[in-house]
Amino acid sequence: MAVEQRLHPWSWLFVLVQQLKQFILPLIALVVFGGRGDPDNLWANLGPVIAVGVLVVLSVVQYFTYRYRIGRDGLTIRSGWLHRSLREIPFARIHNVGIHQSLLHRLFQVAEVRLESAGGQKPEAEMRVLSLSAANALENLIRHRGQAAPAASGDIPAMPASNTLLALPLAEVIRLGLASNRGMVVVAAAFGLAWQVLPDKMMARLVQRYSREAFGYASHLEWSWQSGVLAALAILALVLVLTRLLSVLLALVQFHGFRLSEADRRLTVERGLLTRLRNSVSRRRIQAWTLREGVVQRWLKRRSLHIDTAVASRVDHDDGRALKVLAPIATPEACDALVRHLLPHSAWPPSQWQPMPAQAAWRLWLPGLILVPLLAIALWFPFGAWAGLALLLWPLTGWAAWQNARHSGYAAGEELIAVRGGWWWRWWRFAEIDKLQALRLSRTPVDRWLGTATLWLDTAGDRGLSPPLRLRFLHEADAQAIYLRLADALARRRLRW
Amino acid sequence: MSELPVETPDTAPTTTQDGTHGWQPVPSRGAWLAALGGVMLGIPLAVGAAFISQASGWMSPWLTAPAALLIGAVLGAWVSVRRHLRTRWKLDDSGFAVRRGNWWQSETHVPISRVQHLDLKRGPLERGLGLATLVVHTAGTRQATVNVQALDAADAERLRDRLARQLDVDDAL
Repeated sequence: MAVEQRLHPWSWLFVLVQQLKQFILPLIALVVFGGRGDPDNLWANLGPVIAVGVLVVLSVVQYFTYRYRIGRDGLTIRSGWLHRSLREIPFARIHNVGIHQSLLHRLFQVAEVRLESAGGQKPEAEMRVLSLSAANALENLIRHRGQAAPAASGDIPAMPASNTLLALPLAEVIRLGLASNRGMVVVAAAFGLAWQVLPDKMMARLVQRYSREAFGYASHLEWSWQSGVLAALAILALVLVLTRLLSVLLALVQFHGFRLSEADRRLTVERGLLTRLRNSVSRRRIQAWTLREGVVQRWLKRRSLHIDTAVASRVDHDDGRALKVLAPIATPEACDALVRHLLPHSAWPPSQWQPMPAQAAWRLWLPGLILVPLLAIALWFPFGAWAGLALLLWPLTGWAAWQNARHSGYAAGEELIAVRGGWWWRWWRFAEIDKLQALRLSRTPVDRWLGTATLWLDTAGDRGLSPPLRLRFLHEADAQAIYLRLADALARRRLRW
Repeated sequence: MSELPVETPDTAPTTTQDGTHGWQPVPSRGAWLAALGGVMLGIPLAVGAAFISQASGWMSPWLTAPAALLIGAVLGAWVSVRRHLRTRWKLDDSGFAVRRGNWWQSETHVPISRVQHLDLKRGPLERGLGLATLVVHTAGTRQATVNVQALDAADAERLRDRLARQLDVDDAL
């Protein structure tokens, strides 16, 4: 097997496409705004051509200099021409294998392979691109060599029969779209981007013009104020419907044909309508779990199950490829069954949740209690007495805090530690005790006054987007007892990634 | 492991200062360094005070800024020294723990098997006082690093050696 291999011969094309994607905005800007001023300026017209030419040469050079070799214990990658690099990646260190196929990849029967290990900023290797068969073979190889006990030498065993844990039919994907706010987020982001990118306040003028025209049209009709309100409501409803439709469309593109399967204690997720993604992660690499239930999801009687892996992925550079979601949408029973299947010793859901002490509810209100008057004071300057309306938020935040406290709780079992909370958007977050990295017991002055404490549990791979794993406002003795028990348990168990 | 967790210095009479066994204080000579760090609090306060008095025209910034600087420096130094003197660390079979804070108290515990790597930092001032800062890294996220400033240099090295020994035994990753 110690033969150096090259990428697929078409790989230069995909490297080029990747580079063009990065430079597409400057290039368009160069073509549209650069050449406009002076049609006789040769260099302004030639600029984009030269830029693309340089990129083509770079892509071809990369193809000729990138070689990989599959060794017994790992992968060796040699790359670079002037600045050469040699990288050894042991199979046992690879946490996640991602295979990515866009429409163009599918046309050429190739795939992009990404190997990720724990920590760091970038994937260990991005192989752009391998033929589909080579990519599958590599994935299969890592799946087997990466296990703790290396298989007897010889041929790579065939892909084992996989066991489907969850598949989403079309109706579920549509429900997923209805329950998500992606459409709204995309519209808002596009609006913001257009505002920034388009030159000379073009957006601002467009918005002004259309709103003026709309108002002009409305005043021309000489509506009463009731019909004005109705029209505004109708427009709002239309916007809501359209953004939901966009959400459904996005969900179809991203999650069509979603399938979660398990083979050899490894989980694989396949999804995507146009761009097909396949990610696999070993079951023991899962660091923490999050179940979520939004309002619309609750109406539809659905939840979602997300996981944290220790794989490197920057929040700002996240292209949604990492395996983060095990069940984008599933019934609560299906989610629980999935967790029980993957964590056989967890006894999920916990038989008894310890509620948040009733005396602690007002402490959830504390931010609202302080911020609402401040907001009212800040609004006083522009709006005068109308700012008093902001104080209506006071009972509202109090009510929310009380409801929140009613749904908050924790369960500290032998194998699993879980917290839950939220009211409109409910969440459950849990991790195996083996996966905890550090413990922190903290007491604020209020805590010391009331004799309570908060216990923070730290896990790897937490990107700060999910609620923290913390047991809030426990009685100090309880917190101390759990802290000591966990410290003792962790000392006796080795970290298993 | 059969060895003792750490060779507790027999000559240290302050070990049981706070009544619980095993918790070790950091040397009080490091309080000067903590005070020096705390004095810096005066600078943002002075800038803020100057800005507010300039904007409101209530008092001359030439008066408020030095006053805020002085108050901030004294306050910062006082809080930092108190915080420093209350810092305790402990190493036993279950792991390494740090206790700190007076108003906002915290106790952080890192099991030895979760230690990923260790840094021992010694700035010029710390070297002069025979002190060192130990930084313990875990694979976690929110509490990925736990640091103890102004440890006794010998203690810090013993701690590092003891915590690092486990790394050779356990291949954590």
